[in-house]
Amino acid sequence: MNAAPALEVEGLCVAAGGRDLVRNACLSLRAGGILVILGESGSGKSLLAHAVMGTLPAELDWRGRIAIGGIDFGALDPKSRRAHWGRAIALLPQEPWASLDPLMRAEDQIAEVHALVGRRTWREARALAGRALGTLGLGSAGGRYPFQLSGGMAQRVAVAVALAGGARLLVADEPTKGLDAECRDEVAELLLSQARAGAALIVITHDIAFARKLGGEMAVMLDAEIVEQGAIAGLLAAPRHAYTKRLLAADPAGWAPAKPVAAANPVVEAANLAVERGGRRLFEGLSVAVCPGEIVAATGCSGCGKTSLGNVLLGLLAPQSGIVRRVSGADAHRFQKLYQDPVSAFASGSPLGVALDDVCRRHGLPLDAPSRILARLRIHPDLLLRRPDQVSGGELQRVALARVLLVDPAFLFADEPTSRLDPIIQQEVMDLLREVVAERRLAMLLVTHDAALAAGMTAKAVRVDARLDAGGTLAAL
Amino acid sequence: MSSRFVRRAIGAACVGAVVLLAILGPWLIEADPLRQNLRAALRPPFGDDLLGTDHLGRSVLARLAHAARLSVSFGAASAASAALLGTGLGLVAALRGGIVDRVAGALCDATMALPGLLLVLILAAFAPGAFWPLYLGIALALWVEFFRLVRTVARSRLMAPEVEAARLFGFGDLHIVKRHLLPHLLPALGALFAFGFGASVAAVSTLSFIGVGLRPPTPEWGNMMTELLPYYDEAPIQLLAPAGLLFATVLGLQLLAGRDTK
Repeated sequence: MNAAPALEVEGLCVAAGGRDLVRNACLSLRAGGILVILGESGSGKSLLAHAVMGTLPAELDWRGRIAIGGIDFGALDPKSRRAHWGRAIALLPQEPWASLDPLMRAEDQIAEVHALVGRRTWREARALAGRALGTLGLGSAGGRYPFQLSGGMAQRVAVAVALAGGARLLVADEPTKGLDAECRDEVAELLLSQARAGAALIVITHDIAFARKLGGEMAVMLDAEIVEQGAIAGLLAAPRHAYTKRLLAADPAGWAPAKPVAAANPVVEAANLAVERGGRRLFEGLSVAVCPGEIVAATGCSGCGKTSLGNVLLGLLAPQSGIVRRVSGADAHRFQKLYQDPVSAFASGSPLGVALDDVCRRHGLPLDAPSRILARLRIHPDLLLRRPDQVSGGELQRVALARVLLVDPAFLFADEPTSRLDPIIQQEVMDLLREVVAERRLAMLLVTHDAALAAGMTAKAVRVDARLDAGGTLAAL
Repeated sequence: MSSRFVRRAIGAACVGAVVLLAILGPWLIEADPLRQNLRAALRPPFGDDLLGTDHLGRSVLARLAHAARLSVSFGAASAASAALLGTGLGLVAALRGGIVDRVAGALCDATMALPGLLLVLILAAFAPGAFWPLYLGIALALWVEFFRLVRTVARSRLMAPEVEAARLFGFGDLHIVKRHLLPHLLPALGALFAFGFGASVAAVSTLSFIGVGLRPPTPEWGNMMTELLPYYDEAPIQLLAPAGLLFATVLGLQLLAGRDTK
């Protein structure tokens, strides 16, 4: 057995202009081992991975020792690692659709690496690519283009591409970002099988359920430092550091289940809806009613039409059949929406304060109307001087909620409002939403792909994808 | 210093010099651009007149300055008219869609089917030597580019969630144009305006040069080149000066408006 560990990092520091971005990190990983790095955005976990890869931006300084498969890189120029990319160390990028070549078939993308990095003949390379696809359960998908693959399948192709050069160390940067629960389990299973085959894995994530599935070692990062390190099972069962405890408490799986709300006259109700997008029937026979002070969760896999359901209730999309009834006497602008990506919901060129002032002027509110709501949502007024891309996702989502509350909404459609946020921030935003719904007697439709989150927010859920089975048209698709 | 900065600086210097000449020149230079003095014909530069005199003894510098005023104001007027017309129609077409979009698109296609200069020639035939057919023809040839750009960009921006959110808050078209469309359009519109400005300055000189546009004795760069062409041997500086100014104007505008290629 090879004595050299797959990866050894000692005293690694990354700094920019005198400020430490990663401080004194020590890691060790044997062949077949898994190391999960958990931490909030900006804590330095991605920089740590980039330092290992040797892809740090040139303006950052680093020092310390990095050894990959027994080769020491501490004293060497970062460019020296280039020769090892693909061969000894590989990166599994975020969002596999974006990293695969959209114009190349899956098999060719894998074969290309075997031929060009592995220096094999094209015939051999094709055979190896076919075999790799077979082991990943993609035997029949080799001829497909990336846009014809599901998220989980694309991630499997990306893994095959990353490992085709024979790399023994795989760095996966948030491999489950944007994937729903089923795909997430698929990716976990895939990474585990690679570890069993002898590859060492570094996985960066903020998804605790995913980390639990992977097992192995875990390092928790906070403010540039590794604050806690150990076996995942033990760490999750008995966290020592306060941040780890908060992180675990924020996991929706641990939230107290929500209590049902007494039924009242619904603000908006829809009966027997059928919706098509791009010639494809998304769902039919779906009925839903949202009452004041009530949250209704719409769940289902990605692409099943959850967002379309919300848009139909808002009147942004016309259903193929069925009826939507709104409570009488409510103005159109009292039906509002919170967006998955709050940056895209604000005019990019204007400061946030201008967006709030515009709404006040449009609806004849006094210009100091936002201040009470901002205080309630714990938004610092200085934030309003910045543009949407200059504040964090959690802060911006709260400003978006403040803007919605200005017009005294009756119904709010929250479209995966926290899917891009860290667990702790997610919990803050969700707590706030729950409080606001209760205080204002707001009717809310919450779209989410996270079943645990839905259960923690409400007792009333509608499964959008299940409607197809009920309607009996799944076979027709 | 980045090459982009150098390019912008050269462009600004060229355009700035021509604009200064157009504004201050006719005011500072005492000589009358139309006053002939046949006894002082084709005087060399650096004598009584800084750039010498033409074949009719008129001061070349005074004529250049008045011509610059004409070209600059003409270019600005026709590019601005084209920008207003094209942007307005493009925004309406994108916001309204349907029949409005189709009619505006058809007008645009019909205009593009005619070469720009041909359009000007047709209009110039109605009133030879007059100023308005040139202005109208060039503005009509230029609005198409503004229309196409604005319509395409606005249509894609209107699909963005930020516009959907604004509509949910009850905002109207004017607000959406101001907050969500114009900030994305202005940089490209600025570049297009500079190109249009340069194109109309070049067009008016081209037409005068071939004798279709403004007629002598109006001082105009194209006119001056035609008039002095037979005397290129005796008065090379006088012939090259208007060509140089035209070149500096168009080059400067192109440098100012050019996109960065990386």
